[in-house]
Amino acid sequence: MDSLGLPHVRRAFLRRFACAFAASAMLPLSEAHAFGDAGAFNPRILLTGTSNWKGRRKLAPARWALELVRRTSAPARVSPTLVAADSPKLLAEPFVIWSGSAPPAPLTGPELRGLQRFIALGGTLLIDEHEPERGLFVAAVERELRRVLPDGSPITVGSEHVLFRSFYLLGGATGRFQKADKLKVIVRGGQAQVIFSPNDLLGALARSAGRLHAFEVMPGGEPQRERAVRLAVNIAMYVLCSDYKNDQVHAPFLMRRRRTGTK
Amino acid sequence: MNITLSDDLPVMVVVGACLLAGLSFAFLILEVRRMSERRPWLVWLSGMLATVALLLAVLRPARVAQTSAGLGARVTFLFDVSRSMDLESTGEGRTRRERAAALFPQLRAHFGGARQTNLYFGRGPARALGDSSIQGLRPAAESDLIAALRSVAGATEAVPQAVVLVSDGRFDRPVGEGLTTELDSALGALHAPIHTVMLGGEAVADAAIADVRFAGAVVAHQPVVITVEVACTGGLPCGEIPVFLREIHAAGKPVERASGTVALKEGRGTIDLELVLDRAGQRIVEVAIEPPEGDLVAGNNRRLLPISVARDQVRLLHVAGRPTYDVRALRRWLKADASVDVVAFFILRTHSDDVAASNDELSLIPFPVDELFTSHLPSFDAVILQDFDARPYGLSKHLRSLRRYVEQGGGVIMIGGPNAFVSGSYAATPLAEVLPVDMRGVRRDKAVDFASFAPRLTAAGRSAPVLEPLRALIGDDFPDMPGCNVVAGVRPGATVLLEHPNRQIGAGKAMPILALGEYKSGRSIALTVDGSHRLLFSRFAAGAAGRAHGAFFDALLGWLMRDPRFEPLLLAVAGECFAGVPAQLRVRSVFGGDGVPMQLEVTPLTSGGEPTRREVVVPKGKDAVTVEVGALAEGAYSAVLRRAQHAIPARLDFACEMGGREWADSRPDAARLRQIAAHTSGVAVGPDGVDRLPLPRAVDVIAQRHVHPLLPAWSWSLFAAMLLGAHWWSRRHGGLS
Repeated sequence: MDSLGLPHVRRAFLRRFACAFAASAMLPLSEAHAFGDAGAFNPRILLTGTSNWKGRRKLAPARWALELVRRTSAPARVSPTLVAADSPKLLAEPFVIWSGSAPPAPLTGPELRGLQRFIALGGTLLIDEHEPERGLFVAAVERELRRVLPDGSPITVGSEHVLFRSFYLLGGATGRFQKADKLKVIVRGGQAQVIFSPNDLLGALARSAGRLHAFEVMPGGEPQRERAVRLAVNIAMYVLCSDYKNDQVHAPFLMRRRRTGTK
Repeated sequence: MNITLSDDLPVMVVVGACLLAGLSFAFLILEVRRMSERRPWLVWLSGMLATVALLLAVLRPARVAQTSAGLGARVTFLFDVSRSMDLESTGEGRTRRERAAALFPQLRAHFGGARQTNLYFGRGPARALGDSSIQGLRPAAESDLIAALRSVAGATEAVPQAVVLVSDGRFDRPVGEGLTTELDSALGALHAPIHTVMLGGEAVADAAIADVRFAGAVVAHQPVVITVEVACTGGLPCGEIPVFLREIHAAGKPVERASGTVALKEGRGTIDLELVLDRAGQRIVEVAIEPPEGDLVAGNNRRLLPISVARDQVRLLHVAGRPTYDVRALRRWLKADASVDVVAFFILRTHSDDVAASNDELSLIPFPVDELFTSHLPSFDAVILQDFDARPYGLSKHLRSLRRYVEQGGGVIMIGGPNAFVSGSYAATPLAEVLPVDMRGVRRDKAVDFASFAPRLTAAGRSAPVLEPLRALIGDDFPDMPGCNVVAGVRPGATVLLEHPNRQIGAGKAMPILALGEYKSGRSIALTVDGSHRLLFSRFAAGAAGRAHGAFFDALLGWLMRDPRFEPLLLAVAGECFAGVPAQLRVRSVFGGDGVPMQLEVTPLTSGGEPTRREVVVPKGKDAVTVEVGALAEGAYSAVLRRAQHAIPARLDFACEMGGREWADSRPDAARLRQIAAHTSGVAVGPDGVDRLPLPRAVDVIAQRHVHPLLPAWSWSLFAAMLLGAHWWSRRHGGLS
């Protein structure tokens, strides 16, 4: 939704943030946030078993938050946090990313219960595969999620789903790779609560400390990376606004734009 | 003095004795005829005397001495006290009720010898007049003659020998004309003549709203057809008469909702007008006609109808300044509730955002602020402004419309955030007058408090039904909120349910966090935090399985929409409210009485006249009281009942009419009264004919009764034995055996 010009302090804030971005470390923070910040989008990383969060994708969540703040009116936590599946802090915010390349260790009892409560309260879980060619992580997570959600089966959704029009009009899914242009989701109560990203979305977002891209994007290069960023923005908007873009008031506009072939 | 037989004799013994005596006479006659010897007359005489003596010895006659008194007949006076009796009695310069009151002593004097029962009737059974005067009785909104007659016939005391009905003959029941089956049955049950005294005189030239009908429930935003029937009587020539439907609310002049012209044929005509009411709850609709020249009864040219407007769905406008978890939580609840029809607009992008795409690549649509807050605004039941800055999005110029929308019964909720309240440019705007919090004097650079805190319940919050569902889930402890919008205080009349535990607004008062307020016909809510999503999703929320958020907003929205579940006190008009007659309001406390004084204020909805104030106390052990608020003029009123200075008030909009349905036909119905009198062998007279009413016959009542035997029982037997002996001697002497 457009608006009139807004004298905003966010640009100055972003410039300051850009300087600090490279040096920012991803540390678990307390739940106490400033007024206006508590409801900000926070792409938290979920840790299970003995896993940790390091490597070239370490700053991808921060990049995600930064792109969201730069492109939209949504506030975001530009120093996203880590959260363990068995930590009570998992219930502090309704979004978490479970990302990896190797099959994770089976969920322990506390982790299982933590994820079950997270889903039961309406939280959204993004599963991101680092190595789409092998797909071992997503396959293993699907197995574990059958324990968390015995009655939840993933379904495949394409560009007709609100995820692909929650901010940008997108033709399909993408990431560092282009393994599938559709997403699998587990829907509960009309909401896609678990989203499977098979294309290494965080890999496309990742940047190194020198603000260079951490990975090449294949096969589409930078245009594909841009589409991956847009998908990340759309996922964030979906988390924040749920199916807002399904509202009838938007329908005629979106139909008209879809007909022009815009992606 | 009377003679009677001994009272210890069964009837069969008396009959048997008489038969035996008769038989004895017959045999005696036969014997005497056969006698050819001497002196048969002696046998005849002695036999007859002996038989009579034997019969008297059995019957033992007694003397009865008694005294009696003449008692007046029972007469019941039945006075009609319906509102139609307050119409003028033609040619007399006074009302029918005043004429009836003047007749009363005349009737009492005329039936002076009778035992009199004085009753009046309106709605339901007849009631005893007691010491009340006819003029002092509250006029009834209907006249139910059937119920009155049945109550007289079914009374435990003796049925009257005559009933005198004093009325204008304009009854609501029996319905229809003539002697209906229902009326015939009620009259027959009395077994007494009904004399009628007809009041009202001749019909005068009158154009009137004869009836107003609408089928089914009135639902907000949905058209309902109102059928208005107009009648001209008393020889008033009527061709076409304009009809208007107007909604009356606290915002000022009545708003015309529909109008038309009804064409009359043979003095009657109807028109269907389509009415759409946007606000749910009790609404006052005025139906008015423009009468032609010569109309002599002005009081029936206008009806004021309290219409209870139901809600099919609550239609909400949800406007959010930016997408956050708080917006997410509220939207999810609104969309999950099937009874809510939400139209949402979220600001997803500002012009300073670098979307890195053309507009065609975006799913964004322009924010139609002008369209929403002008033509579409009345279609919403409530507007939610969540963390929304009025200035950059062009809302500022519509804040006056938003205030008018609340004045006319709409609801507004403002939810906090960095772009709400003072930070959202709402201070010193028309909307600031509507909100329950005071923003005056708060500097923009100090308009936000970043300190975390847990809101604290106020005394009003602990007793308010609106927080009960939430407290049932989470108790009295609230999750931490990450700061709040700063406000300067509470507007007069507003109620604070949650307050800041640390921040003061002066004079030791805590800063409000959740405040509820009334503004003219509408309501508003201010929630100065943006962390209510923690009732849906947080470690705290998990304790109530995330249901606390829904319970919180469901109740807030319910209160905004005047859902009775969330009203601590309920107000209703006791009976009917007629202009110039002391009105009564019924106050019911949901939790029962506690003896705490409450303040009741009744204010005209439109004219802004002086309010009427009363102190109301619902005593312990009772849950309702009736309060008299004095005689009110014709019009619409708002009654507001406040338990304490900062408690949530109860409110009722109601109307006082001149005559209502009772004045729909101003003509007296003399024919109906004549029919009733004729059917029951009574007499129908006018007010000057009371002297012609027949007096029922008085009744004799025995006061004393004494029974004395004429002779002792032994003497009857002795006489009988002696006469039998004489008869025996005469028979032997006459040659009989």
